[in-house]
Amino acid sequence: MSAFEPKIIAMVCNWCTYTAADLAGTSRLMYPHNVRIIRLMCTGMLDAKYVLKAFLEGADGVFIGGCHPGDCHYINGNLKAARRIPGIAAILEQFGFSSERLELKWIGASEGPEFQEHITRFVETIRALGPSQAATAMIL
Amino acid sequence: MEKNSAMTVFYLKTDKNPKAGVSAFLGRMLSQSLADAVLVSARTPHSPLPMPAVITDPEKIEAADPLAPAAPFNAARQAVSILRHESGRKIVLVLRPCEIRALVELVKLKQCVLDDAVIIGMECRGRMETPIYLEKAAENPDLTAAFYRDPGLQDAVCASCRICTRFLPQAADIAIRVIGEPTDERIGIVPQTPAGQDLVGRLGLSEGPDSPGREDAVANMRDLREQERERAFQETAGKTDTIEKFQKYVAQCLNCYNCRVACPVCYCRECVFLTDVFAHDPQVLMRRAAKKGMIKLPADTTMFHLTRMAHMAHACVACGHCSSVCPSHIPVADIFIKVGNEVQKRYGYEPGRDLEEPMPLMVYDKPVVE
Repeated sequence: MSAFEPKIIAMVCNWCTYTAADLAGTSRLMYPHNVRIIRLMCTGMLDAKYVLKAFLEGADGVFIGGCHPGDCHYINGNLKAARRIPGIAAILEQFGFSSERLELKWIGASEGPEFQEHITRFVETIRALGPSQAATAMIL
Repeated sequence: MEKNSAMTVFYLKTDKNPKAGVSAFLGRMLSQSLADAVLVSARTPHSPLPMPAVITDPEKIEAADPLAPAAPFNAARQAVSILRHESGRKIVLVLRPCEIRALVELVKLKQCVLDDAVIIGMECRGRMETPIYLEKAAENPDLTAAFYRDPGLQDAVCASCRICTRFLPQAADIAIRVIGEPTDERIGIVPQTPAGQDLVGRLGLSEGPDSPGREDAVANMRDLREQERERAFQETAGKTDTIEKFQKYVAQCLNCYNCRVACPVCYCRECVFLTDVFAHDPQVLMRRAAKKGMIKLPADTTMFHLTRMAHMAHACVACGHCSSVCPSHIPVADIFIKVGNEVQKRYGYEPGRDLEEPMPLMVYDKPVVE
């Protein structure tokens, strides 16, 4: 039996966390390969559908990375995302998805090491939680 | 927020016919030109089922039957159709509490304006599903009067009404009081706002003391409904607490989207599920089939229900019309009301409570996390 390798979808802001991921790469900082990065122009454009779809398609965890409050390229998109996510989490919890599987973190463009740290920790959290129930279920 | 206790109560004589009592009360608003039109649930000549109607002629008001235990849909949408912009006409709306809550949400969503409107809210013992109402109405020509007399008939209300704890018309200008009142003799009229006081003041109704046992009747009803609601929530949780179980729950869903059409707070002119976003290219469907060896068509059933929750759970007014219109008899409302309750708790928001209370996603200076 092969060990469980979580599938993580990271939806990250172009102006900060995506750049931080790039910096982590160019700085040769190692982080788990479990994460699939999707670049958004801003976490403010994070549609609930993206998160729901990721989980229904079998993602084990969804990580959202945005700019620190006050740093948003579009003034307040990150705050809108922060407001939206608890509602999505409440819906997911109803169907047995632990709220730990959905995480929002603020990671600035210069924070390559922080990106490495958050992703490594998140992957370990999800690994401990085990595979998502949707990975094997037939979703209508 | 028990506003009612300190408020003056006026009484309408009903003489064993509460329907006639209420329609005469509304008729006087029209004949005294205090209102240009009344939007009220009324019988058409063709069926005992009351439908929302706009009545301008005092002669026609006797068709009004707002106390009938029936509502083919949440009339907030019909209210919006005549309140989309200021008309300069004084419009009186007679609505159920869940309809008022939906209307308040629709005002916040800029779907209509209430400047010209006075809202009369009825205390609500619930509505029956339409087929049940028609069956009972065939057996009993005066079903409205019988309903308030007979606890057996009151037990025939739909599942969502049986768990409704917000049965008092909180945001209304005037409340029609039926709970704990001897409805065969009289019905209470309670002005709750200055606009309501003004209107009621012009009708020359007689004031009276609170009916004995009124407070207890409300408290008892609330206790019973709360217990029933807790039980229903637990039962629904047991049926939906994993995504696998939820698949069983919606297994008969046809993707007809009737629940979305009936939903008073699903207000988008064009639902995303009718756009190209979900009109997949055949290749996409083939790829999805190949991934798991099989997919059900139409696709995106679970995605539809979860997305709809993400769109409207914070504003769900718990009217239950989504269940009523489901051709597959899926108890959609049970899960929507439960999830709505969870989401609303998380945001500390109560839909329809107050026009001034901003919707959760309209404010973002107060993050819920971090």
